[in-house]
Amino acid sequence: MGITPPLIHRITPSSSEADAAQHRRMEFTAPNLPFDAHTHHPGGLTRPLISAIDLTRRWGKGSSAQLGIDGVDLTIGHGELVAIVGPSGSGKSTLGAIVAGIDRPTSGSLVIDGMRLDRLSNDRLARWRGGSVGIVFQNFHLLPTLNAAENVDLALKLADKSVGRRERRFRSREALASVGLDDKMTRLPSQLSGGEQQRVAIARAVVARPRLVVADEPTGSLDQESGHAVFDLLAGLVGAGTTVLLITHDERLAGRADRVIAMLDGRVGVAKTVMSEPPDFPRSAGVFAEAGSL
Amino acid sequence: MSHLVSEIRRAPARIIVSVFALALAIGAIGVFAIPTVASSSLRDTAESDNLADVVIGTNDTGELNVDALLDSIDNVQAVDTQIETDVALIAEAPDGPLLKLIGFEVETQQIDLVHAESGRLPDGWGEVLVSDGVAAIGTTLPVIGHGGDPVDLTVVGIGGTSYWSGTSVAFTSQATARDLAGLEGVNRIVISTDEVGSDELTATAGSARESLARQDIAVTVLPVTIADDEHPIEPDIEQVSSLIGMLGVVAGVVALVLLGSTTNTLVTERTREVAVMRALGARPRSLRRRLRRLAVGIAIAALVIGVPLGVLVSNVIARMVLQEFVGITPGFAVSMPVIAGSVLFALLGARLVAARAARRVTKIPLATALRDRDGSPFGRRFTERLAARMRLGCLLDRAALRNGAHRRSRSIAIVAQFTAAVAALLIIASLATTINDFNAATLEPFNWVSKTTVAGPGLDIDADIADGDPRSEVSIEAIGELAGWEVGIRGVEVDTVMIDRGLDQGYWFDRSDEVVVSTGFAERVGIDVGDDIEVLLASGPASYRVAGLHPHRDRSVFVGVAALAADLGSPGMANVVYSLDRQPAVDVTGLTETTFLDSASEDESARQAILLIFGAIGLVVVSVAGLAVASSLAVNVYERRHEFAALQAIGGRNRHVFRMVSAELIPLALLGIGMGLVAAYVGGMAIMESFEAADAVEIGYTFATGAIPAAALVVIVGSLLLGWLMVRRVTRSPAAVTLRSAA
Repeated sequence: MGITPPLIHRITPSSSEADAAQHRRMEFTAPNLPFDAHTHHPGGLTRPLISAIDLTRRWGKGSSAQLGIDGVDLTIGHGELVAIVGPSGSGKSTLGAIVAGIDRPTSGSLVIDGMRLDRLSNDRLARWRGGSVGIVFQNFHLLPTLNAAENVDLALKLADKSVGRRERRFRSREALASVGLDDKMTRLPSQLSGGEQQRVAIARAVVARPRLVVADEPTGSLDQESGHAVFDLLAGLVGAGTTVLLITHDERLAGRADRVIAMLDGRVGVAKTVMSEPPDFPRSAGVFAEAGSL
Repeated sequence: MSHLVSEIRRAPARIIVSVFALALAIGAIGVFAIPTVASSSLRDTAESDNLADVVIGTNDTGELNVDALLDSIDNVQAVDTQIETDVALIAEAPDGPLLKLIGFEVETQQIDLVHAESGRLPDGWGEVLVSDGVAAIGTTLPVIGHGGDPVDLTVVGIGGTSYWSGTSVAFTSQATARDLAGLEGVNRIVISTDEVGSDELTATAGSARESLARQDIAVTVLPVTIADDEHPIEPDIEQVSSLIGMLGVVAGVVALVLLGSTTNTLVTERTREVAVMRALGARPRSLRRRLRRLAVGIAIAALVIGVPLGVLVSNVIARMVLQEFVGITPGFAVSMPVIAGSVLFALLGARLVAARAARRVTKIPLATALRDRDGSPFGRRFTERLAARMRLGCLLDRAALRNGAHRRSRSIAIVAQFTAAVAALLIIASLATTINDFNAATLEPFNWVSKTTVAGPGLDIDADIADGDPRSEVSIEAIGELAGWEVGIRGVEVDTVMIDRGLDQGYWFDRSDEVVVSTGFAERVGIDVGDDIEVLLASGPASYRVAGLHPHRDRSVFVGVAALAADLGSPGMANVVYSLDRQPAVDVTGLTETTFLDSASEDESARQAILLIFGAIGLVVVSVAGLAVASSLAVNVYERRHEFAALQAIGGRNRHVFRMVSAELIPLALLGIGMGLVAAYVGGMAIMESFEAADAVEIGYTFATGAIPAAALVVIVGSLLLGWLMVRRVTRSPAAVTLRSAA
């Protein structure tokens, strides 16, 4: 991530499978790519981690129905740090929630690490979430009556019942130490600052060593310094082989990701490669006419 | 008003549930009105029947003009004469059950007016009007009266008079009754008076007794005085009604807790909204006024439903009581003090609780109130930090228990509601068991299998009649008065085998001026072994010395049969023959027989009625408590929905969420059960103590330990079921949707 210039890709909204396939090829065969996203994984896997086809999320029915996301196609490889950006109401949190398994699409398919998520029962989905994905929220959402260590411990316990108490305690402490909170393990959330709570949330998200971490506006409630520190922690996960999906409206943070996916009105934007400039966010529908422009 | 309407629109389900829960609680308070409603109905009935103020039983008055004799006595307003006798119905068996027969002055009755509700009053010989349930109009009742000859009575009407409510009675002409009783005159005198105070009536009865005595007419039973226009059965109904009213205390406690928790929640869930308004410049005073008005508005809505509900509850239960015990179908009655109390309770209670909560809510520092969506975060209080150090159970259990400590006022409210529900269940079960045991205990000392009496109130059995049968004894059963209490006077043989003569203190009497008194009664009125007492008999006062105290639970005095007969003015006579056999060997003309089992079963229907009524009240109280628990639990689960969604987000399933809810609820339920057991024991004892004091009898208290598992099971299973339903409801939305609403 520190070697090559940041890369921004936008995927053209496609109205057919053929178009979609072509644009995915365009994404992964664009010039100046230092690596192929398919193959960028320590294990050398060629299958993407996340593959979403025509995902839609709608609330309500008829004329009062609200659209969250509309026909989203998405492919994310192993070990990537991908930022999803867009203005408020663009559907990025909805997409993140569906990928994280805490919401269900109205239609479309979603495959994560070979598992067809949209077909799982609630119980299996919950079990999958515990072991396969870590989630970091803007408002932390720690359990208020458990201290830092207990919050992390609980996540590991839900992820893998076979882990014994002693090992759980060791790994919880290790996770908290990795985020610099080894001296605040017995503090309750109300006794921690916002940045510290977010770090506990990150420790909770990674303690079970998931393949995927979804962070929804993780720095939204933090000051700039804390926000960058949190981002560094998340970025560090990628180095260990974890895929991080970062949902943010912060352009500076998005610029530090491997890839940026832009969203607007529930749809993803045009694919575009930018060498060294900060990301260019579409401000109107006209951006969709800029297909393929550099 | 518009503000209230907008609040209702915001969360209609919760507001409406709060209103209905509060309304039910207010309705349950209507139980307090039952004694008033019952008494009011009885007094209305007494007035319409021109109930007698003094009733005197005599031996045969012969040709004496009783009306003229007694009319001249001070305070006497009117005099009616009647004949009272018992006849045996022979429809089923030759010695069938007894039917009381009252001969009255059909054309000229002024007192204890007999009404025909259907059919007509009797006017020919052999015609009868019967109380409801005895027989249908047109039925022929073959009976045996004095002399032993069978006679056919024809039912021409159904009805009666309130003095005999609850008793199977046949009313007939004096001519018919005279023939069946074998009398020349009358043996029952009813008097209405000008002054109805207790002292005045006692004086009038005494004067009447003296006037009759001067004409050699003996009073055979203690005169009955019905003071202050009350119905004669009113004291008995008052007991039951008061008992029921005491259960209203339990209902009141539940209502109080429900009012407090509902109002408190109503205010505190608006903490953030209030903070926003404060940030925008609204003054705390106006915000507090707004919150108070909201709470009072909810209380008014609850009153609109609850007060009529309470009136309905009190009338329905009072009707059950009066119909079961007295056979009266009362009119509709309302207790204004109880209504006023309910209104005051709801409005004042809501205002006070809301004021306190509003003050607290407007005093929270603005930054804290705006930031903290769920009120004060866990860990601010010392007790919470202490709870956080405890490592009890698994992680979910710890989270649950600590949450209980965090929401302590709600936890206390839930415990109080469980306590009230368990206490109500167990008090009712214990009272039913106690009444059952008491009724059985009053019959326990008696060894007789059958007893035989003759028709009429006098002593008409020759005491020698049982001399030849070692398994039979003559006895006297009479009513007297001792230390201001009505007591059963039992004249028995010195060496009687019909009663268990084991005593608590002293010895069984062996002289004519000695008596044995029941222990419980003696202790209540301060009578000891060796005391000299004066017992007021039908014939006048008689002096005795207390030789011993007997464990019989009722108010009883045991005395030698010969001594008692002499004191009653009928030496050598008796009115009962006890036998150890089902069929006694003695032969008495006009005999009627009652077995021990008959006596026991007479109580059975009363017990059933009491159980039914208690059960109805218990259902009301437990329903209110259950609703209160459900309401508190729903709010608790709703407030923690973000926490549950976060748990689901990190891999928690529904059963984990349920574990958190139940781990918090079950300890509260267990605590409530424990406290409910204590409250039931103490409360039930207190209720029984008050009855013992009111009745001067030893009732005792049987705690229904057998009902404990059932009560505990109902509470625990009910809680778990409620918890599961709440969890299913709150986890229906995807976790993302719930978490988004927290943002």
